[in-house]
Amino acid sequence: MKHSVVSLTINGTERQMLVAPGTTLVEVLRENQGLAGTRRGCDQGACGTCTVLVDGKAMMSCLLPVETIEGARVETIEGLTPMQGLHPIQEAFLEGFATQCGFCTSGMIMATAGLLARNPNPSRDDAVRAISGNICRCTGYEAIIDAVLDAAKRMQAAQRSEAA
Amino acid sequence: MLQAIATPGSLAEAHAALSRLPDARLLAGGTALVPVLNYGTDDFTSLVSLRHVGLTGVNVKDGVVTIGAATTLAELEDERALAFLRAALDAIASPTIRNMATVGGNLFVKQPYGDFAACLIALGASAMVSNGTTARVEAIETVVSSGLKQGEIVTHVSFPLPEAGSFKFAKAGRKALNAAAIVTVAAVVETAAGRVTRVSIGLGGVAKSAVRAASVEKALSGNSFDRVSVERAAKEATRDIDPSDDAYASAWYRARVAPVHIRRALIGE
Repeated sequence: MKHSVVSLTINGTERQMLVAPGTTLVEVLRENQGLAGTRRGCDQGACGTCTVLVDGKAMMSCLLPVETIEGARVETIEGLTPMQGLHPIQEAFLEGFATQCGFCTSGMIMATAGLLARNPNPSRDDAVRAISGNICRCTGYEAIIDAVLDAAKRMQAAQRSEAA
Repeated sequence: MLQAIATPGSLAEAHAALSRLPDARLLAGGTALVPVLNYGTDDFTSLVSLRHVGLTGVNVKDGVVTIGAATTLAELEDERALAFLRAALDAIASPTIRNMATVGGNLFVKQPYGDFAACLIALGASAMVSNGTTARVEAIETVVSSGLKQGEIVTHVSFPLPEAGSFKFAKAGRKALNAAAIVTVAAVVETAAGRVTRVSIGLGGVAKSAVRAASVEKALSGNSFDRVSVERAAKEATRDIDPSDDAYASAWYRARVAPVHIRRALIGE
């Protein structure tokens, strides 16, 4: 088995890693890069807890052998979090009680980040669809959907104040 | 156990990798194949990734749509010319999976997944299959039922743009979103003076692969496009399907409700 060197830009910094064939992005993030905010759940793309942004799009990191995404730009929950305080999506989840056990939360937040990058003003239906690949076994989803919509408002407000 | 992943940068390199790695499987979006790898139930030792071979993009010219096999389902949702497919695409998995899953890969996923193949059958699509030296054109239903020979790659799928409003779609699953198919129905129906002039129906979830509902097409073709006529034709679907039991529904249930969903897809009631 031949290991290979893969280069990825993870949270803005270029990283090189030596991987065995078929090593998935979630393994690299957690085991090699120490970025344990990305959760490993079902390993089959059914639960969404490993969701990260790859080249700006929400994808499941358990389904991506890193050799196949050489050169990609990866953003995780750690990269989303600012140096001080929280990202507006995180604030919306926190203040809206949209987390309980927290295991799905980083995936939910990254799926939300993927939605809001494409669609800054989502409808409730858009929010439901955006997290339809993410399973939460605690909240019953309503608080999460509310938080996605609240996050959109917070990000728009932040952009307006930046522009002003 | 996996020993190698080849990551070719062109179709020629992909064919070279396939001849170098004789038991290799093709890896497109990975949404069906990587779970097998993660579970350790794989029976292959190498993969050839099609992510960077340049088979992406949608081209519409002279009423014919050509889609690169490595185009993701999410990319199709953004195509204005393919707006008629949005409801069907929305019914396939989740946006996160659609950011990864490809048009070509969807032809080879096991039922009850692979609804896009049912859409392509309805659209009368064909697949361009390359073996490295020559390319052949194959009907989608043949590709999904018989698969490809080792060394072959689907490079594109193409179909004529259907008449406005003629594409129909309905899917029954256990959930409103992100569900496997109990029955998926895709159809193109064209009528003139209340009679069916052209009908083409693809079904998912009701056989080993997506299938054409040829008996329903035959029963409906030339007949009036009303509830009585559609209901009678839809019952013929039992000749076209061979459903299985799985965790989502029994074979009996699928056979029982397939005509109902065909009717709902075609006339919306």
